Amino acid sequence: MKLIKYTFALALCALISSCSSDDDNNNEDLTGQTGSVVLKFDNAVGDQDFIFGTTYNKSNNESFQLSTLKYIISNVRVKDSEGNTFMFPVEDNAFIINEEDGNNAGEIWVVLDNIDAANYTEITFGIGIDQDRFALGAEGQGDFLDMATDEGMMWSWAAGYKFVRFDGTFSTTSLTDEPLNIHMGSVGTSLDNYKEVTLSLPNTVLVRESKTPEIHIVADISKVFDGVTSVNFADGYDQVHTDAQKTPVIASNVQSMFMVHHVHND
Amino acid sequence: MVLSSITVNANTCPLCPENFRTETFLDCDLCGCSTSSGSFGFGTLSNANFVGVRYIYQSFESRNGIFENSPKSEETFNTYQIWAQVPINNKFFITANVPYQDLTRRFQGRNENLNGLGDISAIGWYKLEFFKRRKLDASDVNYNSPKESSGHSLQFGLGIKLPTGKFEEALTDNVNPGFQVGTGSVDGIFSLGYNYGGDRIGVNTLMSYYLKGENKNEYQFGNQLSYSVNVYTVFSTDKMNIMPFAGLSGDVYDSIIQYGETLADTDGDILNASIGSELAIEKFIFGVSYTLPVNQNLFGDNVESIQRFSVYVNFAL
Repeated sequence: MKLIKYTFALALCALISSCSSDDDNNNEDLTGQTGSVVLKFDNAVGDQDFIFGTTYNKSNNESFQLSTLKYIISNVRVKDSEGNTFMFPVEDNAFIINEEDGNNAGEIWVVLDNIDAANYTEITFGIGIDQDRFALGAEGQGDFLDMATDEGMMWSWAAGYKFVRFDGTFSTTSLTDEPLNIHMGSVGTSLDNYKEVTLSLPNTVLVRESKTPEIHIVADISKVFDGVTSVNFADGYDQVHTDAQKTPVIASNVQSMFMVHHVHND
Repeated sequence: MVLSSITVNANTCPLCPENFRTETFLDCDLCGCSTSSGSFGFGTLSNANFVGVRYIYQSFESRNGIFENSPKSEETFNTYQIWAQVPINNKFFITANVPYQDLTRRFQGRNENLNGLGDISAIGWYKLEFFKRRKLDASDVNYNSPKESSGHSLQFGLGIKLPTGKFEEALTDNVNPGFQVGTGSVDGIFSLGYNYGGDRIGVNTLMSYYLKGENKNEYQFGNQLSYSVNVYTVFSTDKMNIMPFAGLSGDVYDSIIQYGETLADTDGDILNASIGSELAIEKFIFGVSYTLPVNQNLFGDNVESIQRFSVYVNFAL
């Protein structure tokens, strides 16, 4: 009998000691530590992974398929749990997210190095190029100008960058496979379509010397046409370029298409 | 005799969401590492004490990605275990389980395999037997006659699962963290069983709660409730007893906690139906069971249990 009592007592002890949580990393000293963060951009249409050449339905009995899907992300910054913001260095802080660059899971990776170690809870980024960066002039753009030119994300220096570029075809109840081109940007300094999006992170992102957390961002392309405002190809939203009425509508829709699906801290 | 037996049921390990490099956000303790759980059964239908070997086959289908059209992978888990139920005296006994895990996942034509010793578990049980009331007949003066069993009994179990299976942190990165031979944690097991064994019919029920510990990677699988109900009957011949059974079992999983935060889509539940039979010849008990999910919602529906199958041979002590 004694043996049994001891056995149970031992088991109980083991349980209690093993199940107590010890939050021993609260007073970790992160001073001077830096780490990397991976942003995984993943284009989708609703709950489907986006695939080139697939026909997607939208409102108004219209449909579309795309052969080009690119957009510019800039001014990426993260905010930690104490409210401090870490801005990635401005000169390197503009990226082209091109669906063609996706890995076999369809993710486009942006790797940000030398981020201050901290517990981050929020991410902000801009879609396109803001007026301050544009005001630096062609010389002030660094390598990004050449990159954008090569990627077909420029009209001309005077007109500026195309913030998003969707090329493909569309169909309506009366038209079939007509060209679809959504090229939205600011127009020089006369029309500012730069917008930012701030997303809270579903789990804290722990940036450490030894850890490279990943932030998986889903961009729901259906929101470009059925976002804040639903637009119809039949009403002229099949060709969107520098129009002062149409581009701000697309810009607001694009701003609404991002969400953080999850993060990885491993 | 008889009376107490512990539920046998098939397995359950639904789980294991598999993901690859790309998606690792879901995981659970279902996989290989929890084949010692109560919904798999701790013992034989009929008899309390034995030592034996059991093989469990499980298959799953998991979505490797976050979208409806993300590609699927297939997981196959083979578990080989030595298990035993050993008496201490007529009220206490111990069940123990030493598994070897051989896990394979197939994705886009490529196989990944993981194998090794799994997590060893042991449970100490107290058995409370109920006896028929004696007739209060003054003429019955023989107080030494043995008490007659009513066939009903309760079992209370307190156990522990040890991190003898290797939890590989690298896998939480490259592969779905549920694809592990062990959880890397010390877990507590609390069980309550009710059994009835009559002349023709027996009922075994069992409910177990698993309090999961945090492993050294600050990763904690979700706490788990397992339950099972099995009904069996007995056909006896001179040489053998045949005991077909049918039952329901299930598991409910809490969310995984990592770095002190709950991870989304890591909880879930599953209800299974099982049929099987035991065959007892002299001291040997041969068992087989087949299990299909009736209803499941595992990890944001990213993981689907397909089927389970188990066979065992026990030697009655």
